[in-house]
Amino acid sequence: MSNLLCSNPLIQFKMKIIPAQFPAKKSTMKPASISSRLQNSQTPSNQQLNLSVLRFTLGIPGLDESYLPRWIGYGFASLLILNHFVGSDSATTTPAQLRTEAIGLSLAAFSVLIPYLGKFLKGASATDQATIPEGTEQIFVMSQNILDTKKEDLAWATYVLLRNTNTIAVLISVQGALCARGYWNIPEEASRKNLLEWFERQIERIGLKNLKDTLYFPQNSDSVLWELLPKGTRSLLVQPVLQVPKPGANQMEGIEGFVLLASSMGYAYSDRDKAWIGALANKFGGKSL
Amino acid sequence: MEVGSLHFHCRPIPWSPELRRRTKPTLPRFLFFFRASSSSSNSGADYKGPKPRRDWVADLVSNNDDAVRSLPIYVGGASLLAVLLNRTVSGIAPVADASSSQSRADLLALGLAVTNILTGLVWLSIRPKPISVVSPEGVECQRIYSHLPDSVSSELLWVWESLSDVTCCRTLIVVYDSHCILQIGFAAKSSNGDGEPVAVDSVKLMQGSLYQNVIKSGAQSYLANLSLYPGKSELPFLPSNTQAVILQPLGEKGVAIIGGDTIRGFTTSDQAWITLIGEKLDATIAKNLKNLTLSAQE
Repeated sequence: MSNLLCSNPLIQFKMKIIPAQFPAKKSTMKPASISSRLQNSQTPSNQQLNLSVLRFTLGIPGLDESYLPRWIGYGFASLLILNHFVGSDSATTTPAQLRTEAIGLSLAAFSVLIPYLGKFLKGASATDQATIPEGTEQIFVMSQNILDTKKEDLAWATYVLLRNTNTIAVLISVQGALCARGYWNIPEEASRKNLLEWFERQIERIGLKNLKDTLYFPQNSDSVLWELLPKGTRSLLVQPVLQVPKPGANQMEGIEGFVLLASSMGYAYSDRDKAWIGALANKFGGKSL
Repeated sequence: MEVGSLHFHCRPIPWSPELRRRTKPTLPRFLFFFRASSSSSNSGADYKGPKPRRDWVADLVSNNDDAVRSLPIYVGGASLLAVLLNRTVSGIAPVADASSSQSRADLLALGLAVTNILTGLVWLSIRPKPISVVSPEGVECQRIYSHLPDSVSSELLWVWESLSDVTCCRTLIVVYDSHCILQIGFAAKSSNGDGEPVAVDSVKLMQGSLYQNVIKSGAQSYLANLSLYPGKSELPFLPSNTQAVILQPLGEKGVAIIGGDTIRGFTTSDQAWITLIGEKLDATIAKNLKNLTLSAQE
């Protein structure tokens, strides 16, 4: 499994997984209701980010300088320990030396932690690329008994999500229509034909159809519970698609479905990514089949 | 406010937290079949999966951004002083040689302290510059070409909703096939004093250099600071203090003009999304207007 690191952290690479063509256009015209004004779920921040241009770099391709403190921390900590045991006899170790070594080791621990903290600072860009886990296959399945416009919308939405975010697998289920695209672990017993039923069964088991709130797992902790997801998944985002209540009608917000995104990187989705994914989910809400 | 992870409301399901941390990959099957007693209108069961933990480190760092940036400097500086103090207090001469193991340990600790200080300086130097929002001067308007089929108008409205919610977009104009089919958001007030928004002169726009260049190259054009571009005069319908503009071609027949209220307000990810949305919009409009010729009325 190759993991490419970008030497210039300011450029964000997105892996083009599927160079799919846009599906063929068919001339069907079906009137759909106009979506009413949607609720603003996220207040825009008043300050935009402007990354400064200069960053110190050693110029070695493939070397990520932001991880340098971590390596220095590990290296110097091991040298300190080596110095303690090999440099002199244990009997002659003075308290002063022990104090120095304590300071040195705690500094080394802090240095090791520095790249982790740096990831959460404003302006930090992800330098890893999304890697494809082994054992997965690339699939693209969609429910067949839906309108062509719906198929085009689903195909386009999955394509955009795979292309523009660090996603390796996407699953959209809305108003009974299901579309799965990307790299999934398909069990042996599910053949091509009943792949959709396999997805449906997994969804029923977890109860994703009744999800009301967005779920975001930036680290790997809980994804082992979900047989559905490809094995190398480290981040998971599930965005429910809520039905837009029609203006004037006195109905509660229903749940139309969800959009599930899996990525092989940790902390794969920034706030901006989540906002765009929410906007994409709104496209499927409020439209009648 | 930035939130690292989002909450999931509690459900009345006995899901004990210890189970989530088990390293075994499979759990007993019966745990998945608890049915919630709440009344949901859907026939399926409620969501029974794990709920996300609140990531307090991420929240702490994002909320105290400045403090965290200078933290390595303080840690490194304090350790430096501590090492030197330790050396003087213990009565060892402050000579920087590697002869005794005490000196070697001191040198290693000094090296680490210097690394931390340098990291802190790097973090401070790459602090993003906050840019303020400039409220557009003009009137709000919402003009949609009246003969559009529902699918096209709902798609256009969805694009406007997404752009105005997610990005710094405050104006959206879509020109297709020599007609302005959408003008929504803020527009410049017309000069004849009646307070009406300036209409888009599609013909004049299409003869201008901005439009021609965008259609010829077929690629998006991002004017990050509109005041620097002389082509601003070709866009009189935008509010005069529009800060950034993206011109996205829609195939070969149209263009979407997106005006924002912040200099360099559109990120690269926004640009990528706008490019793909432009392609979809072009496909939708082209498909639905193939048989319908846009009449010359406005």
